[in-house]
Amino acid sequence: MEEKQKKERIGVYICHCGGNISDYVDVAQMRDIAKNEDGVVVSKNVMFACADSNQKEMIKDIQGQNLDAIVVASCSPKLHLHTFRNVASRAGINPYNYTQVNIREQCSWAHSDTPKEASVKAAGLIRAGIHKVAYSEALENIEVSSTRAAVVIGAGVSGMRAAIALAKMGNQVYLIEKEKTTGGHVANLGKLFVTEQSGKSIAGSLLEEIKKITSITLFTEASVEKVSGSLGNFKVDVKTGTETLHLAAGAILVATGFDPYQPKEGEFGYSQFPGVITLPEFRELIDNSGETLIYNNRKIKSIAYIYCVGMRQTKGENKYCSRVCCTTAIHSSLLVHEKFKNVTAYHLYRDIRTYGKQEVLYEQSSKNGDIYLKYEEKTPPVVSQEGNHLVIKIKDELTRRQEMELETDLVVLVTGMVPRSDHEAISGILKIPAGNDKFYNEIHPKLRPVETVINGVFIGGSCQGPKNISESVQSALSAAVKINALTKNPTINLEPIIARVNFEACTWCGKCAEVCEYDAIHQLEMYGKIVASVNEATCKGCGMCAPVCPADAIDIAQYSNAEIEGMIDGFAQKVEISEEAGAEAAGGEGGITMKDMPQVWRRIASSLETDPKTIPALAKELDLNPELITYNLMTMNKYSLVEAAGMDDSDEYYFYKLKNLKHVEN
Amino acid sequence: MSRIDPGFASELKKYGARDFSACFNCGNCTAVCGLTEKDANFPRMLIRQGMLGQKEEILASRELWLCYACGDCSETCPRQAGPGDYMAALRRYAISSYEPTGLTKLIFKSNPLFILFTLLLSVLLGFFLFTLKPDHEVARWLFTILPYDVIHNMGLVIFSITGISVIWGLATMTLRLTRNKVKTEGSKNNIWKALTEVVNEMATMNRYKTCDIEEDSYWKEKPAAVQPWFVHWSIMWGFIGLLVATVLDFMLKDPATAIWWPSRILGTIAGLFLVYGTSLAINYRMKKVTKAYSETRLADWMFLWFLWIAGITGFWLEVSVTFSFDHLLNHLVLLVHTIISMELVLLFAFSKFAHAFYRPLALFFYFKNGQGNK
Repeated sequence: MEEKQKKERIGVYICHCGGNISDYVDVAQMRDIAKNEDGVVVSKNVMFACADSNQKEMIKDIQGQNLDAIVVASCSPKLHLHTFRNVASRAGINPYNYTQVNIREQCSWAHSDTPKEASVKAAGLIRAGIHKVAYSEALENIEVSSTRAAVVIGAGVSGMRAAIALAKMGNQVYLIEKEKTTGGHVANLGKLFVTEQSGKSIAGSLLEEIKKITSITLFTEASVEKVSGSLGNFKVDVKTGTETLHLAAGAILVATGFDPYQPKEGEFGYSQFPGVITLPEFRELIDNSGETLIYNNRKIKSIAYIYCVGMRQTKGENKYCSRVCCTTAIHSSLLVHEKFKNVTAYHLYRDIRTYGKQEVLYEQSSKNGDIYLKYEEKTPPVVSQEGNHLVIKIKDELTRRQEMELETDLVVLVTGMVPRSDHEAISGILKIPAGNDKFYNEIHPKLRPVETVINGVFIGGSCQGPKNISESVQSALSAAVKINALTKNPTINLEPIIARVNFEACTWCGKCAEVCEYDAIHQLEMYGKIVASVNEATCKGCGMCAPVCPADAIDIAQYSNAEIEGMIDGFAQKVEISEEAGAEAAGGEGGITMKDMPQVWRRIASSLETDPKTIPALAKELDLNPELITYNLMTMNKYSLVEAAGMDDSDEYYFYKLKNLKHVEN
Repeated sequence: MSRIDPGFASELKKYGARDFSACFNCGNCTAVCGLTEKDANFPRMLIRQGMLGQKEEILASRELWLCYACGDCSETCPRQAGPGDYMAALRRYAISSYEPTGLTKLIFKSNPLFILFTLLLSVLLGFFLFTLKPDHEVARWLFTILPYDVIHNMGLVIFSITGISVIWGLATMTLRLTRNKVKTEGSKNNIWKALTEVVNEMATMNRYKTCDIEEDSYWKEKPAAVQPWFVHWSIMWGFIGLLVATVLDFMLKDPATAIWWPSRILGTIAGLFLVYGTSLAINYRMKKVTKAYSETRLADWMFLWFLWIAGITGFWLEVSVTFSFDHLLNHLVLLVHTIISMELVLLFAFSKFAHAFYRPLALFFYFKNGQGNK
């Protein structure tokens, strides 16, 4: 590790956030404390650090006073990290020589009851930030080259649909299917909800389309053997028959799907009594039946559906709801009603979850006279055989938990979705994690729903969790677009905050590679010895490797030992806050002075000083766009600088007048 | 353990419960009903029992007769399952099941049969009435076809069948209701207390007054005199008053001709109430002012129109008698009046009219069991 040049011309900006910070944190003292730190040449209070005028001011400072690093103590970096990195860039210094200190969410807002303590904490954090930035390095974004190709694992509807989308966006696509045929479970389905189009025809038309697209290569009876490389440059070994192919791809989409739950022997009489079948078996029976519904050479006149079989087990393994089974069962019942007439349907359910548009099916089924009986998990229905019939005993929650029995010809176990029995094979090869339910996990269920923690590996369809066809295709298509966003440029830009190895110090003990969850560290021969090497595209900068290194040969960019130690030193210093100064800074009393405000605000304020005005009047007077006036006036309103003062004669616009501005300086 | 009978729902539909299969057991109907209580749970529970075919539970239900069909539940049902109409249909089913002849089943389920039966009965009653004046010209012609005794006795038999059916119906209902042990939190009441409660309810219609009283109710701002409970009260007491007046007249064996006789005064006042009530009820049903009045079966029409005709013809006769108009038209009106009145009495056990004795009985057991104790 080369000796770092400590930064010696640091600029510090303490933001008031229009009172959000300065009402509680003694910003004047913060400025003075910062000023006394080593290397700080500029230390200022600013009303809104993010305001355009202040950004310009900062650039002027950086260039005029030859600053080499900056610290802004304001809000969370989630909000403005990039704002000030850009300020640094524009001023001509490296954006990574910038540190943001969060004194709003972490100080003024969190400790508004104890403003003095908020100030003490803010001072510590500001000092830590100054010490950190003093050791900061200039970093460049990592550029990774990318292959314009994708591997899609699984040729069910999700995989096929995503493959077509990827190909149409200009990618070479390798579609890998384990089975002999494509279409997965959907290919076995008959009429489906809403369009009445059959699953068979959906899967068939997708295959037809794929055959027409030359940039899609479909491998059936093929399996993924090994995956190496990383984002932009994956190498995927695929075995077809006796041959092993080596495919190059920029990204990988996993769309391996699900298995239907298989009831245990004796579960609700399954494989114990003839006439107890699962929902997929029943769908097949409906599709293959002619005029009459016949099972085991017997005409079926009544059907009992038992819901939530193998699902929502509070004590068992599958705690989740499979979300598609209620609708599938009810849709089956409607199909039966339509196709065979006069078949009694009993639905033994726990809760009906025909969410969204599927609710109409439920309503239709009730109107058809289907009988719904609700059972509790702890008192499940009991299936037995009486002569030719099956008899079910149930405690009906809807009829005072009365124990009742019903006679039926067929029992359909409404089974849900479980992860594929071979799910570990793929997750092992790709190192993608699975949840407690053993379905593959996304990074964030709401905000990053198709990305995995492995850069460049995406999940789509029901391998991620139970989904119906449209939801599966939605997620797969979303992954396809994500993949294309990565592969469409020859290079991919990545943040440089990753682990770095000091090759001189490294003696390769392998401990770092062991703890790395992303498989980003590998051996490398260099200078005639074996050292650890970090894959820049795979590394997430999580920092797991650094503390386990006995030779102290790994650190993380932006979190080097020097930076972290500097922060600790800065934070650990004693902070003296004087009380009386606190009162002065605590907003209100002094008011906000004109010179702290953005230019437009100043003009609005001076205009309002004479008499209250409406937005159009202000726009006319200041010769500015009314929308600009509205935006700025509303922000001023938010910070209690102006307030509404009645409506104009035509009841159309509010008048605004000054509120908290006491000293008006021009 | 009861076994679910999925066919029962289609049986109930023949009694006019059309949409109740759409029910998804939310319980809105029970929540919105002003008459439900912790231990009197309807209409939802009764719908449930209908869906599952629990006939015995339905026939042993007191709650079924607590409902005055205000239609509040039907208004608020999220599935348009018509719980109010369902309750009415269930009462028709219960009336049919309590009486032994099976006649009610036929007439409730089939409108043509209902009409045919009513017409046949009126012809028969016409004949029977002639036997009261055997020396009349028409009567003499009749007797050449059928002997006087046959017609007269047949009439008496018909009256007896009605009487026996009423008693039978009350007995079966009593048996079923007493077997139905509903657990209540309140204490049980003695017979007198229960009877007082029943009479009190009949006299004041206090429970009916709690029906459909939401802020947005159609009746909220209307005067009491046109509200459903008062319409019902007028019809009921009007009819009872007329019945008492007729019986008094009959017992005195001297049809009162002077209008100031007490029985005549009673009859006049009662008749006024009857005509007022039925006129309003018919009007409401024709205009379908609220949901409760928008579903009218033939049984309802027949019941109301018969009462109305009986009332109007009664007044016609009153006027004729007072001014001694001896005219053929008046004789015909008398014939119509008598036939209609007798049909009402004869169909007492076999029509909507039967609720007049089943409801008080159910209420009696309801109060006796301590249900509805506040």
